[in-house]
Amino acid sequence: MKNRIATFVLGALAMAVPALAQNPPSLLPPAMEKQLAARASNVTEVTLGKSMLGFAAKFMDGKEKDDAAVRQLVQGLDGIYVREYEFDKPDQYSMEEVEQIRKAFETSEWTPMVRERDKKSSETTDVMMKMVNGETRGMFVLSAEPKELTIVLILGPIRMDQLGELKGIGGLSSLGDVNAKTKVKIK
Amino acid sequence: MDEMERELRQSLARRPAPSRLKRRVMEQRRQQQSQRTHQRLLLWQRMAATLVLACTLGGLLAWRHTQQQRKGEQLRQQVFTALRITNHALNQMNQQLTAHSRDDQE
Repeated sequence: MKNRIATFVLGALAMAVPALAQNPPSLLPPAMEKQLAARASNVTEVTLGKSMLGFAAKFMDGKEKDDAAVRQLVQGLDGIYVREYEFDKPDQYSMEEVEQIRKAFETSEWTPMVRERDKKSSETTDVMMKMVNGETRGMFVLSAEPKELTIVLILGPIRMDQLGELKGIGGLSSLGDVNAKTKVKIK
Repeated sequence: MDEMERELRQSLARRPAPSRLKRRVMEQRRQQQSQRTHQRLLLWQRMAATLVLACTLGGLLAWRHTQQQRKGEQLRQQVFTALRITNHALNQMNQQLTAHSRDDQE
């Protein structure tokens, strides 16, 4: 009987561990996420883990121009997490909230690449890269406009030269330019 | 010779069939028929069950395939949406940086 219980517990653990391991990293605190979503007029949430990206890659079979390039890019990634909040009017989120999100990524493993502040238009953009042994293993983008807040987290190896090939998605080659624009600018 | 003739006559003599023979033969025939019917029924039942199973399995596979196709297409769209949003954010950054560079030059 004891053996059966032990087997059951071990089995349950074996199933629970991968499930826990697949938990997506939190882009922003859950409470803040709820508040922002409640204030926003339009919310776009994309949460794609490694297995989902792998599955999605199977369906990139050349229907669209960028399918092959996106498939190559996506296959090696560990996850893509995006939150985009569009507001009807400005001042629906505070700069403290933006700072709180940004600070979560101000760790030793994240290197700030671009830090843009425009006081006139109250627009801010942060781009941070996760570098491991000189290789890009992640990218974090935080863009705050008066009526729009965008948070992007891409985890996994990102090859900038591949990104430049993605021309179809509204000129996704902008992603490829990130490496070239390593600057901090506050105006 | 007489002995042989007697034996032959005895062997060829008409003897009435036992009273239960007809009933036994008929019963055996009925049993055989019923067994054959039962076997045929069993065969048809098996064939029908196989057909139903094959149809169910085929239907399930087709449904699973359709579901996977739909899910895959949704995920594909999500990937493209995520990349478009990322691109939009980075485009904004590019524009800001370009504008600032222009301001600096002026």
